[in-house]
Amino acid sequence: MRRLSSRILREFRFGLFLLLPILIVMALLVFLPPDGNERAEWMQFIGRFHPLAVHFPIALVLLVPILELVGGSARFSYLRLSTGFLLGLATFAATTAAILGWCLARSGGYSGPLVTRHLWGGILLTFFCWLCWALRTRRSHPVPIFGITLAMLVALVAWTGYRGGQLALGADHLTEHMPSGLRHVLGVQDGFTASSKVDASTFYGARVHPIFATRCVNCHGPDKRKANLRLDSYRGIMGGGKDGPVVQPGNALGSDLFRRITLPSNHDDFMPKGGKRALSSDEVKLIELWIGAGASETLAKDAIKDAPADSGATAVREVTFQEIDLAAVTRGRAAIAPAVAQLQKRFPNILDYESRGSADLRLNAAILGTRFSDNDLADFATVAEHITVADFSRTGITDRSASTIAAMKRLRVLRLMSTGITDATLLRLGVLDQLESLNLFGTPATAASLPAISRLPRLAHLYVGQTSIPPGSPVPDSLAGKLVF
Amino acid sequence: MVMPNSRVRSKDPSAGEVGAEMRSQVRMAALRAQTRRHFLRTLGSGLGTLFVGTSLAQYAKPGKEPASAALDFRRDPSSPLSELPPQFAAKVRRVIYLHMAGAPSQLELFEHKPDLKRLDGQDCPASFLAGKRFAFISGIPKLLGSQYPFHQVGESGHWISDRLPHLERHLDDICFIKSMRTEQFNHAPAQLLVHTGNARLGYPSFGSWVLYGLGTENQNLPGFIVLLSGGKSPDGGKQLWSSGFLPSVYQGVQCRSHGEPVLYLDDPPGTSRSLRRDMLDAIDKINQQTYAAFGNPETITRIAQYEMAFRMQMDATDAMDIHKEPDSVRARYGSKPGESSFANNCLVARRLAERGVRFIQLYHWGWDSHGADAKEALNLGFADRCREVDQSTAALLSDLKERGMLEDTLVVWGGEFGRTPMRENRNGQEMKYVGRDHNPGAFTIWLAGGGVKPGITHGQTDEMGYEIVKDPVEIRDLHATMLYMLGFDHHKLNYSFQGLEQKLTSVKPARVVTEILA
Repeated sequence: MRRLSSRILREFRFGLFLLLPILIVMALLVFLPPDGNERAEWMQFIGRFHPLAVHFPIALVLLVPILELVGGSARFSYLRLSTGFLLGLATFAATTAAILGWCLARSGGYSGPLVTRHLWGGILLTFFCWLCWALRTRRSHPVPIFGITLAMLVALVAWTGYRGGQLALGADHLTEHMPSGLRHVLGVQDGFTASSKVDASTFYGARVHPIFATRCVNCHGPDKRKANLRLDSYRGIMGGGKDGPVVQPGNALGSDLFRRITLPSNHDDFMPKGGKRALSSDEVKLIELWIGAGASETLAKDAIKDAPADSGATAVREVTFQEIDLAAVTRGRAAIAPAVAQLQKRFPNILDYESRGSADLRLNAAILGTRFSDNDLADFATVAEHITVADFSRTGITDRSASTIAAMKRLRVLRLMSTGITDATLLRLGVLDQLESLNLFGTPATAASLPAISRLPRLAHLYVGQTSIPPGSPVPDSLAGKLVF
Repeated sequence: MVMPNSRVRSKDPSAGEVGAEMRSQVRMAALRAQTRRHFLRTLGSGLGTLFVGTSLAQYAKPGKEPASAALDFRRDPSSPLSELPPQFAAKVRRVIYLHMAGAPSQLELFEHKPDLKRLDGQDCPASFLAGKRFAFISGIPKLLGSQYPFHQVGESGHWISDRLPHLERHLDDICFIKSMRTEQFNHAPAQLLVHTGNARLGYPSFGSWVLYGLGTENQNLPGFIVLLSGGKSPDGGKQLWSSGFLPSVYQGVQCRSHGEPVLYLDDPPGTSRSLRRDMLDAIDKINQQTYAAFGNPETITRIAQYEMAFRMQMDATDAMDIHKEPDSVRARYGSKPGESSFANNCLVARRLAERGVRFIQLYHWGWDSHGADAKEALNLGFADRCREVDQSTAALLSDLKERGMLEDTLVVWGGEFGRTPMRENRNGQEMKYVGRDHNPGAFTIWLAGGGVKPGITHGQTDEMGYEIVKDPVEIRDLHATMLYMLGFDHHKLNYSFQGLEQKLTSVKPARVVTEILA
């Protein structure tokens, strides 16, 4: 009996020594839980290394079952010799990470169930790690218990890691960008709509709450509660944070919340913190007006007159520039490139691609004037279906080109200004179902062509100045408001 | 590139020796021209630096997409103005820029400020003056309400004064930016900033960049034409349409409104067109040899310009000849052939646009309404300026609209800065005439045509029209927006100079004003 206990003691001497810090962290967590206040710089500084340190034990722990399983085969049996060492290392690393984690939670202004669960998860997993190690080093012990403990350890790693992800990236970080198709299949609810229980007919519900919900609750929400402040509900906002109320009804300038969102973005107190985009001028204005009007929960949606119009989306649209994929462009142009090159040589400067990334063509014969004739146009038949913009203004083309033009099936813009084109051609253009703009300025076109033109489904502008279609003449209904005289 | 300032000294060398000597000199000069920037750039292509460069780039420009393949603007040297497709499909094909040199008062035209009118004649609050610099205002000036009554027009409900009765028929086609801001409060640098994106000399103008990026459709006309009116050149001078460090073939060509469009364009009496051709061929040959020896792009420019002048002899004279327009059209513009008036220039601008000129720049001088004399008075000279531009600007817009050209033409109207809501008091004295001082803090411009959302106002100033309270737009933002309408990412319209990928919007971040895009 004595021999056994001394042997256990010998084997676990170092192990028990490691158990001590785990118990200390546990005690710290019980007696000094995270309460949403920010504390000593040193502690916060050390705590910030938690996310860095935490991945080391994760990797080590996950390696253990792999080594155990692979080591099951005779060929790789030597791998199993190292799992004991790995578990020891993992216990040490997990303990360190847990201590750092407590430092961060206690001093970084965290509070709420999410951080508490993550902390307990971390400590539990450290303890299980230690247990696994203890079991593994006792070779005489039956394998099944070790296997069960290890499985629980891996489960704990997954659970705690998920909670950590929620803390860093938001509660719905795994499903936030899930494609809606997949979301539907898996039955995952949209996190935002599920959590917002506000009255959309009030100014607060329709205009103010969405700003907080999209811009603030990640840190000041039910789960993270930085500075002990919650902005996800009206009660939370009015309840204020660790420094007292953040909103003084009727006094926007005296409200700490308003002060912080309007500070220069490099100021220490500026919100949102951490390099996030500042609130837009419209968002700031809405909050200012809302506080100024008494910060009411029930005030009607349109009660505040000067409120910026609701654009539907709170974020301002910004331009993004697509990269040009040169290989794809070359592929897209392959079919017509030789013909285009040949035409460009014969007619310099009048035919080119619509853009550097496009295989659509723009034909501008207008600069050649009457030197450009029906015969010239006939040469473009090979690329006709790729031409989307064609300008024949003041050229010498006539109704003889009708079929060539009608073959340009993808035309969006067709300019026939000051040419001899008559109704005979126009009656044949009904096939151009992509046409958006048709310019007949100064042509012999008459009102007889209008019924045919009115069948063009996408036509938005029809220029008929200086034709025999007089202003105010009756037009088919589908052309109403589209004629420019 | 600057060539070494040494010439061939030997009197009668064989051609080969000269070539070799020249080449070695050029190589030496090229070595000397290697700057620290060149060295660092070369170094940067090393793999390790490349890695550091890409990882650091994230910190330098948060939220920006990584730098990528540059656009290729190389052309056949013999046709430097040939067309290139835009980077992406664009609505705008050409620009007509109507610059009102001297800075017209927004408070007498588009900025309706009833509160300022109410406070007319009262002392300016001290908060308006603290920390501000003015060109002439000193002491405590008086607030000055608009000199003209305002009314609302059209479906868009834009406010406008009674000074532009013709233009107001077009307000539903126009997009106002009432929150333009500039860094310069003197005319010349402010005009440079508006037209070149930089307040200092030596930078290419907007038109030059566009011409460089897109080339021009009509090779028989310059792609960038400048027309002046108002009796004086703008203060910024010819630098406003200079090509800066771009090859000078991209500079604006200033044309005269009557007589020969360009001086000495016509052949002198007795010179036939074929004789002129022979002459040019001989000059070309010499220039080609020079280019082969030195490789200076300016030689190419010279060849191209001789050739263009030859082609222009036919087409430019025709394009500029407003006698060819019917009387009814001339009456619509209020144009009288023979004058160098804004009206004539507007009509010419339309004719040039029809002929495929890429960038047409009009300057009308005389908007500097300080009130120092009758010509500068808001109630006298200013009213004349309004009359001079109102009818013809409106006629230009109607012509473009009925011809379907407003679809792919961008028309821009504006000055270089705004004017103060305070009455100018030169030397602290009340002046005989009514005027306003320069205000770089807020001014109004308008845009119309392809790519622009019509009938809207972007941005807002305070109740006095003094400072911007909503959506400020910097000059570089406007440039980025215009380039976007023309089919370019302003980061990508580059030219390598002094070891930098130079661009119109310079180094500060510029934003495409999406709110005004159609």
